[in-house]
Amino acid sequence: MRVSFPNFSNIHVVIKAVARKLGVTEGELVVPPPTTQKTLDLGVKYSPAEACLPFKLTLGNLIEACEMGADTLLQARGTGICRLGYYAKVQEQILGDLGYNARFLTYDVSRNKLVGIFSLMKNLRGANWFRDIPALHFGMSKLFSLDRIDKVVRHTRAVERERGGANRIYKEAIASIDGAENGREVKRLTRKYIGRLNSVAKDPRARPVKIGVTGEIYVVLEPFANMDLEMEMGKLGVQVERTLSLSRWVKYSLFLNPLGIDEWKDVRKAAMPYLKRDVGGDGWESVGEKVFHSREYDGLVHVAPFTCMPEIVAENIMPSTKEDLPVLSLVFDEQMGKQGMITRLEAFVDLLKFRRRSREKHENFSGC
Amino acid sequence: MRTFLGVDVGSVTTKLALIDEGNQLIASIYLRTQGKPIEMIQDGLKEIEKRMPPGSEIYGLATTGSARYLAGVVLGADLIKNEITSHAVAAMHHVPDVQTVVEIGGQDSKIIIIRDGVVVDFGMNTVCAAGTGSFLDHQAARLDVKIEDFGGYALESEMPVRIAGRCTVFAESDMIHKQQMGHRTQDIIYGLCQALVRNYLNNVALGKEILPPVVFQGGVAFNQGIVRALDEGLKTHVSVPSNHELMGAIGAALLVHEEVEVEGIETRFKGFDIIQMDFQTSSFECGRCPNNCEIAQLAMNGRILARWGGRCGRWEKVIEEELTIS
Repeated sequence: MRVSFPNFSNIHVVIKAVARKLGVTEGELVVPPPTTQKTLDLGVKYSPAEACLPFKLTLGNLIEACEMGADTLLQARGTGICRLGYYAKVQEQILGDLGYNARFLTYDVSRNKLVGIFSLMKNLRGANWFRDIPALHFGMSKLFSLDRIDKVVRHTRAVERERGGANRIYKEAIASIDGAENGREVKRLTRKYIGRLNSVAKDPRARPVKIGVTGEIYVVLEPFANMDLEMEMGKLGVQVERTLSLSRWVKYSLFLNPLGIDEWKDVRKAAMPYLKRDVGGDGWESVGEKVFHSREYDGLVHVAPFTCMPEIVAENIMPSTKEDLPVLSLVFDEQMGKQGMITRLEAFVDLLKFRRRSREKHENFSGC
Repeated sequence: MRTFLGVDVGSVTTKLALIDEGNQLIASIYLRTQGKPIEMIQDGLKEIEKRMPPGSEIYGLATTGSARYLAGVVLGADLIKNEITSHAVAAMHHVPDVQTVVEIGGQDSKIIIIRDGVVVDFGMNTVCAAGTGSFLDHQAARLDVKIEDFGGYALESEMPVRIAGRCTVFAESDMIHKQQMGHRTQDIIYGLCQALVRNYLNNVALGKEILPPVVFQGGVAFNQGIVRALDEGLKTHVSVPSNHELMGAIGAALLVHEEVEVEGIETRFKGFDIIQMDFQTSSFECGRCPNNCEIAQLAMNGRILARWGGRCGRWEKVIEEELTIS
């Protein structure tokens, strides 16, 4: 058996960690090559033209994995109002047509998520609680560590004196944590890299604008899909805030949701005056994030794959809320040019700075 | 006299605007880019040098437009600004109570919403060039009418024909069909103007609150037919500033003036010598990973000045190292 999976943010680090503790050997785990233009070209070539970007990119990852000899593929499925529900089925057919008869092990992201994880591990290696629970725990420790570091990176990029320093440290941190053998080492590395990020030389005059990023989770979290959006925002001196993260998803979906704790309760409640129901994907939450964070953020960047129905619904509701927070909607697919994105981001950041300046002027006047 | 230069290098035209300390326009030049941005920058600079009042000197320089990074490196810009902000600043300078800016350029079109002197929203065409100047340029060629005469023809129309304007390809076949049916050229031309405006209002301006005063700028504002169609489409008077085609460059100049005053920076402008310099651009595919990024590079007298286009930053970094060594 040779198992593989589609890339998504830093998930390769987590899957490698869990697989190692489950006793999956290096030869049995095929880590797909990093997502590149070649991945996208493959995905676009073999996908239906109207499929969304996450479908095309994950298909490209799986084709590259099959080329490396993978025969068992992990993919998500769901019962939400979104195309994710049929990704695995359609990709299985496409791969079959290409001559790869890989077995799909799907994971339901809509319900019974903790049970799903264990049945996935059982399918791979047979059930063994004494091995499975520590393996899951080890994988999660790496995930939480990377997301903690990521948050510091997002804040450091905005104020560092020399651009690019935080990115270099982050890249090194991912590689080191990927190589960590045990939980203690993960903890030590987390402290080390957060310390290094905190000691990066900062520009004392920097006054970063605070922009939230929300939208469809894959495009939000996968830098290749969003053309390194957060890095580009960092270059413009933006402090990027983001509620969505893989670790948060895991923490709530696997453990706290079954106990009745809903991480989106406040955000959905905030969306209620404008949208009263789930519209699939992350559309409801996107509207809620605008309303909920309207006082805390200076602006919001809303991202979505082209043709994503849930986010189209959200995009069209956002301008009508009475909570006043500037929103920049960016739609991604294989046709999108990066320069267009950068021009819009630059103009958006200018808009927010002018707004802040005029607000401050206003406050000064009324203060006299 | 202290002066400030704004350089707007767009896809179709290159604009230079020189302002004085009172923010008054004292010299300007408007050229077709013709796919040769660097030569046009040099030509433009030569003209500006001739038109500068004696004893005046450039104290700040800003670039804008789609070639703003290239132009910034070539000229030694103090500020590189996106065209949306530049246009907004120039519009507010010209019409202080402006609430809506319509800008239609060669390849892109924008709408900027301003309230109480602050930009609150903007939009830019995303997928299609059917709402832009290139579309009209192309159709004018097909109708065998000079683009400069387009507006005059449009104003003579009494019975404009309806043309599908959603897509350039469909518009073209629809237009040929109308020609074959025997409609007057004037009516077809105004029909095209209406199609462009309809497209603009349904795409770029979709969902935006358009309030007067509306200022219309960009090269396409030369076209009286579009001005008339916008007036009718928006049911309000649309004003066209006298230097509408230079607004991007003027905005950049205003911004760099402010920057110089506030920050007290000294200009990095390389001087008029660069008119004589030999610039070369070239590109190559990196090939170090499957991304195979296309890297563009700019050299002056054989020395690399800048590189663009890499995803990982490898090539940009090489420059920094080369610069610190030399």
